[in-house]
Amino acid sequence: MVKKKIAKVFAFRYIMLAAILILLAGGLVLLPKYQKHEGIKPQELLSNVISSERYITTDELAQKLIYRDPSFILIDVRDEKSYADYSLPNAINIPLEKLLDEDSRAYLNQIQFDVVLFSDDHFYADQAWILCNRLGFKNIRVLKGGVNNWFKTIINPEKPGPTMPAEAFQLYSTRKAGSMYFGVVYPEQANIAGSDTKIEAPKRVITVQKRKKKPVEGGC
Amino acid sequence: MGPLIPNGIIPIEWDSIIAILIGVVFGFVLEASGFSSSRKLAGVFYGYDFAVLKVFFTAALVAVIGIYYMDYLGYMDVSQLYVHPTYLWGAIIGGVIMGAGFVAGGFCPGTSLCAVAIGKIDAYVYVAGIMIGVFIFSELFPLLEPIYNGYFYGNLTLQDSFGVNPYWFIFIFSIIAIVAFVISDMVRKKQKKVFY
Repeated sequence: MVKKKIAKVFAFRYIMLAAILILLAGGLVLLPKYQKHEGIKPQELLSNVISSERYITTDELAQKLIYRDPSFILIDVRDEKSYADYSLPNAINIPLEKLLDEDSRAYLNQIQFDVVLFSDDHFYADQAWILCNRLGFKNIRVLKGGVNNWFKTIINPEKPGPTMPAEAFQLYSTRKAGSMYFGVVYPEQANIAGSDTKIEAPKRVITVQKRKKKPVEGGC
Repeated sequence: MGPLIPNGIIPIEWDSIIAILIGVVFGFVLEASGFSSSRKLAGVFYGYDFAVLKVFFTAALVAVIGIYYMDYLGYMDVSQLYVHPTYLWGAIIGGVIMGAGFVAGGFCPGTSLCAVAIGKIDAYVYVAGIMIGVFIFSELFPLLEPIYNGYFYGNLTLQDSFGVNPYWFIFIFSIIAIVAFVISDMVRKKQKKVFY
């Protein structure tokens, strides 16, 4: 009796399967569509944004440059003209509008180097940082204060007043030494140096290995 | 998350091992469902057995519906999937030759190897034919190269070339499939039964 019932149900098995397929396919059509976000999740982006690690200070950067730290590359996101006028030593120029070009991606989307983005202030660099982060690029940081702050703190550090704490003097002398490294000549040593040979930062060749992007192969 | 290999969840080095495992399972299923018989495959063209049509249509449907549901739920990104590049005339000419071989021999390359595994003589001949074909093709390659590499349209999908909505396309496709199943069943019933 039970067998007969089962057989009765199973007589319709193909019709049932066909109905399931059509229902599922119809479900796809009827499902409400939503905008998909490319790249990382908003939560992840937010946690990256509020992380203090996304900035690098000018002092840290100066130290890295003086020690010739090979682990990072500098990227200038200002336009070509500003880059030609002045830029940090060995910086690569990728204007903000060319940020997502194929050539630029090779520098940004890699895990070989840390990337330090900078602009005049950190405003444009921050925009570039957001774009790169949303695409999931790793190890991207922004120079806090950009080139302006670089000038204010490293190239032309402010002499601390007589009432300032000892740390300020220590910082000043470090920064002053840094500025000398980057080619600033102070009046007290001008007569000692005698000649005004410009000290160039040693040229660094940056080769970025393209991230292996093997084409997916398929076939029958 | 997915696809697993392009996103590095499964390292790319596992490719070949996974391919072998899938191949073993695929071959087993082909053989178990009788696809290593050239008569079963040729049955589509003579109208006495539509198993091939049903199986591959159903496989395509289940896969496409599953993939788009997974895409919708965010488990997989359809745009990251491999899309076979379109070499228009190469595909047309190759398709005609392959179709002719399919009718004449009653195997597709996959099922022919399955049939070789269970020792069918016609499959041995068929595979030898494939080898000869490969040899001729390789020898004539300089002549055929303009067709082989020409008429390249990129990695096209129907969505790119006709701008159809994939969801509607899947829905219409599944209706077409089921209509095809019904019609093929009607044709089969009209045909004289062939025992093989």
